[in-house]
Amino acid sequence: MTLSLNAITKTFGSRTILHNLDLSVGNGECVALLGPSGCGKSTALRLIAGLDQPDSGSISIDGAEMVDVPAEDRRIGMVFQSYALFPHLSVRENLELGLRMRGSHGAARDQRIKTILEVLQLSHQAHQRPSQLSGGQRQRVALARALLRDPLVYLLDEPMSNLDAQLREELRPELKRLMLGGSQPVVYVTHDQQEAMALADRIAVMRHGRIEQIGTPRELYHHPATSFVAQFIGRPQMNMLNADNGRTLGIRPEDLRLDPNGIPCQVESREWHGASQLVLLRCERGQLRLVCAGDQHIGENPHVSWLKTSEHFFDGQTGKRIDNQSFRFD
Amino acid sequence: MSMSRSWLASRHAVLVTLLLIWSLAPMAWQLISSFTSSEALVNGAIPFEQRWTLIHYRELLSSDPPFWRYLLNSTVVAGVSTVLTLVLAVPAAYVLAQLPLRWRRGIRRAVMAAALFPYVLLFLALLELARNFQLGNRLFALALPYSALAMPLALLLLTAAFEGLPKDLDDAARLEGLTLRQRLRWVMLPLIAPASASTAILVFLFAWNEYPIALTWLSRSDLLTLPVAMARIAGSSIYSIPYGAYAAATVLGAIPLLLLVLLFQRQIVSGLTNGAIKG
Repeated sequence: MTLSLNAITKTFGSRTILHNLDLSVGNGECVALLGPSGCGKSTALRLIAGLDQPDSGSISIDGAEMVDVPAEDRRIGMVFQSYALFPHLSVRENLELGLRMRGSHGAARDQRIKTILEVLQLSHQAHQRPSQLSGGQRQRVALARALLRDPLVYLLDEPMSNLDAQLREELRPELKRLMLGGSQPVVYVTHDQQEAMALADRIAVMRHGRIEQIGTPRELYHHPATSFVAQFIGRPQMNMLNADNGRTLGIRPEDLRLDPNGIPCQVESREWHGASQLVLLRCERGQLRLVCAGDQHIGENPHVSWLKTSEHFFDGQTGKRIDNQSFRFD
Repeated sequence: MSMSRSWLASRHAVLVTLLLIWSLAPMAWQLISSFTSSEALVNGAIPFEQRWTLIHYRELLSSDPPFWRYLLNSTVVAGVSTVLTLVLAVPAAYVLAQLPLRWRRGIRRAVMAAALFPYVLLFLALLELARNFQLGNRLFALALPYSALAMPLALLLLTAAFEGLPKDLDDAARLEGLTLRQRLRWVMLPLIAPASASTAILVFLFAWNEYPIALTWLSRSDLLTLPVAMARIAGSSIYSIPYGAYAAATVLGAIPLLLLVLLFQRQIVSGLTNGAIKG
């Protein structure tokens, strides 16, 4: 199954939210829409779901045009940021409602619900209301509801942003196992680059209603098309220094290394994370973030350098990447 | 610290007691009067043991038509008005809540103006309507003006309730494949049940209390609603004022409403506060 968006434009009043957006998601592929809030990523998701209508452009699933198909009939499995569980229904009834309304009856339906409750470890909560559940449990009910929809496409709108960091890490493999294993295309909206890197086959970095760059996490990390993408992908952020000819030089904090023959710096602050440490350095050309192993000793005035191959050059005006002849990436 | 707190608490207790006395005293007075003999009502010298009687209730229920007939008339009219109002206002409120904010504001202002309009000013016009369409002396016909007059308030309350529901719920139900009708029936209506209950009570109360329209639309004595019947009791004799009978009628007329409110107490309270938070 495939999903494709062609030249989608969406405006709200005088504000254009999406400009001529193209996106295609292949069979079983997970594409993350990544960007700051207001970049249009959630709007794109609502258009695919049919909850909003685009001003122009086409949306197709498996080659079938969807723009005129009402949301009710699109067979979309969506997980909302707010979970959107029906508060007056128990977990079981939440899962049952859609199946019942779509005409599923009897033992087969009960068995499906029972199975999914077991798979998601919700059997004990079957008769509880959403308000009695923890955040993680609510999240799993929302996933279960989307799975029972037999969807053609999965849409996930910041599904984990209301969970704490530990729970997010626990749920990620579960999500991968349940949704990303099938043949359905998955569109995953998030503002968390780590989550996008962990789950997506490809990431579309969005900004001001346009896709700034789309590619595999590796492509985006090693070969960012713009300085915006470069700074959005990878944590801590890429260092940006003014270079000659109005260019900007970007070097990832993890590509810096201690080198007695390197440029002299002063330590401004340190963060120790256990396995790694982040050191904020001041050098003649600006500020540098350095990431290295946690047990490495760094004095107050270290000297640092980097390999030519880890340099990224961007146009100082447009932010576009300027490819260096000597540049190689794997 | 503890002293000022207890002082504050006792001050609150005094205030609450005063308020309760203020609002409950007239009803208590009516209740006591309804069991007091007519002589005792005007003569304070009658000893305590000889003051009490059930005669007012007995007279009310044995008059022609018996008083329960008016209760039944009012229950029917108020019940039909309430159902009619909700059946029309709920879908309308759902649609209103979906409109863009700009439209919603304009429509809300118009509805608000209608809700605040003193309906007594309309009763002559309504009487003309009743005459032209031969709606006089028909019990069910009264539900038409009652629903129409209660509609603006019902719309305001129910629209606020629908606006208070998270939009994601409707969206999630759509993606689950539920049609508009199914979404209303299985998702929206259960969620606005508290607001519907408080709206229903308010409409019922309005129809139960309404006087000028009922007075002008109905003349057959077996069709009268409670307020009109009450007025007739009060003015039934030019020689004496039947305090006792009137008090008994008041008590009987209040009982159905008290039952209704007790029955739906929880929904009403949560419905009213729900509206309060939404503004």
